Amino acid sequence: MSSIGYFFKESLQGFVRNLSTALGSIITIFLSLLIIGIFLIAASMLNNLMTSVENEITITAYVADDASESDIQKVMTSVSQMQDVAEVSFTTKDQALENFSNSMTSNPEIIEQLDGTNPLPASINVELSDPQSVETVANSIENDATYRQICEDPADVGDSIKYGQGTVERLLQITNYARYIGIALIALLIFIALIFINNTIRLAILARRKEIAIMRLVGASNGFIRGPFLMEGALHAIIGSILAVGVLQCLRVFALPYLQNAIKFLDFGVSDMTYVMIYVFLVIAGLVIGLIGSAVAMGRYLKV
Amino acid sequence: MTNNVNRGRMQHGAGRRAGHAQPPRDKAQLTSQLSQALPVLDVTESTAQMGTPVITFDHVTKVYPAQPNKPALSDVSLQIYAGEFLFLVGHSGSGKSTFIKLLTREIKPTKGHIYVADEDLSSMRNWRVPYLRRNIGCVFQDFKLLPTKTVFENVAFALEVIGKSKHVVKTQVPEVLRLVGLQEKFGKKPDQLSGGEQQRVSIARAIVNRPPLLICDEPTGNLDPQTSRGIMDLLERINRTGTTVLVATHDREMVDNMRRRVIALDRGILTRDQDRGVYGFDV
Repeated sequence: MSSIGYFFKESLQGFVRNLSTALGSIITIFLSLLIIGIFLIAASMLNNLMTSVENEITITAYVADDASESDIQKVMTSVSQMQDVAEVSFTTKDQALENFSNSMTSNPEIIEQLDGTNPLPASINVELSDPQSVETVANSIENDATYRQICEDPADVGDSIKYGQGTVERLLQITNYARYIGIALIALLIFIALIFINNTIRLAILARRKEIAIMRLVGASNGFIRGPFLMEGALHAIIGSILAVGVLQCLRVFALPYLQNAIKFLDFGVSDMTYVMIYVFLVIAGLVIGLIGSAVAMGRYLKV
Repeated sequence: MTNNVNRGRMQHGAGRRAGHAQPPRDKAQLTSQLSQALPVLDVTESTAQMGTPVITFDHVTKVYPAQPNKPALSDVSLQIYAGEFLFLVGHSGSGKSTFIKLLTREIKPTKGHIYVADEDLSSMRNWRVPYLRRNIGCVFQDFKLLPTKTVFENVAFALEVIGKSKHVVKTQVPEVLRLVGLQEKFGKKPDQLSGGEQQRVSIARAIVNRPPLLICDEPTGNLDPQTSRGIMDLLERINRTGTTVLVATHDREMVDNMRRRVIALDRGILTRDQDRGVYGFDV
């Protein structure tokens, strides 16, 4: 137990005495983790954004004017039992017209042109729990026997089902690519940070190889030599990661509201839980990198 | 345990030394001049054997991979007894440093065996090596002090890193610093000291753990003759407390004056091992 105290004392002293190298490795760890943190937060924002866009995807299946109430009900129940379907609702002809006129408030003359007739069909609206499977769900509706009877245009059933074909596929492709690129970028950043941090720690230890040589000379066991250095590596990592977390939190509290104000149409909100997870991840990652980096860098000086 | 054995030997050594009183200085100088005229003795005028030796070299050969045809040490056999004070002499590249590195188990012999306190270094496990080194104090030409630590901390460091308690550090460090004559310089940094004082710190660090064996590699190589004499006096005082002292040196005058056991190496071959010997090489 007394050796833990010694390690601690020695690592603190090493910290003070090798202030420039210590600051060097702290700053490296801090900056690396800060950049990783910014990317992680940006990635989760983007992910939120993409998810909210994807959630806009709905399927509208138009129904013929003469469809019977029971058939519609039957289709709705069978659709609601399909996989990945979150909610099924029905829009009557009148509701459809009302929605249309609401969206056309800027040029009401279009509505006037209708002369009281209602050309809009009724529709079944399907909301999805997983937007990725929009095509599958649309196909299942198309193949539904009852729906085939009540659809707006029996000659081409597929034409009665609208979910933004073409555009939706493009959108999903883009969001998926964005996710892959994000993950790859973060992996790359973590790799670069690992090399950076390992290199700095290696330099810090190189600067103290004389100390290590003397420790070996007077018969210190390898564990005793390693102790203070690992402790110091961990200390640097913790300080660096706490700095990174602090700066990220400051950015979140002070800079994010400005950004949100400037770009109102995007939602930058990320849940507190995500932030906490990112912060914890950064501290743990820093600690692990610091310890592993020190241990690896020490290895070559510990040959007997 | 090693310590106990050593204490026993110490009396032995002291008794032996009492037999050969130091000749007066002028006489010593005369002898040294004379000895240059004498032919180099090529005999192994072995020390009077007493008990089991603390260090045994048994047909030790060391070949470095870089020079496979030129062994750094070739077939060296000798024994060192507890309480001895001996010089290891030879030109640069004669194998002195290899000899010392073999003793501290920094390198292993290519052939043969080395025993320190009955333990074979060639078959010693790596994790035991630190414990071997705790029983061997080392002093070097370049002092190897930590410039960021004070005199006291430099010496205390040697105790701290082998896990000695604060109490031991607090009592032994001042004691050993007084022994080497640095009681006034506890708080100084090495660069505020003279070369001789720095070497004293390094000796203090080597003996603070009271090792039975003290190895000095060119301890006076960087120092002027006057300071060197002070250092050698100190080493002699340490030897008188029972520590076996091995000094590798180029310092002809020192060896000739002190008339102790001399082991001479020439291109890796043990050419001479004599009691009360002289430096003996033509420079």
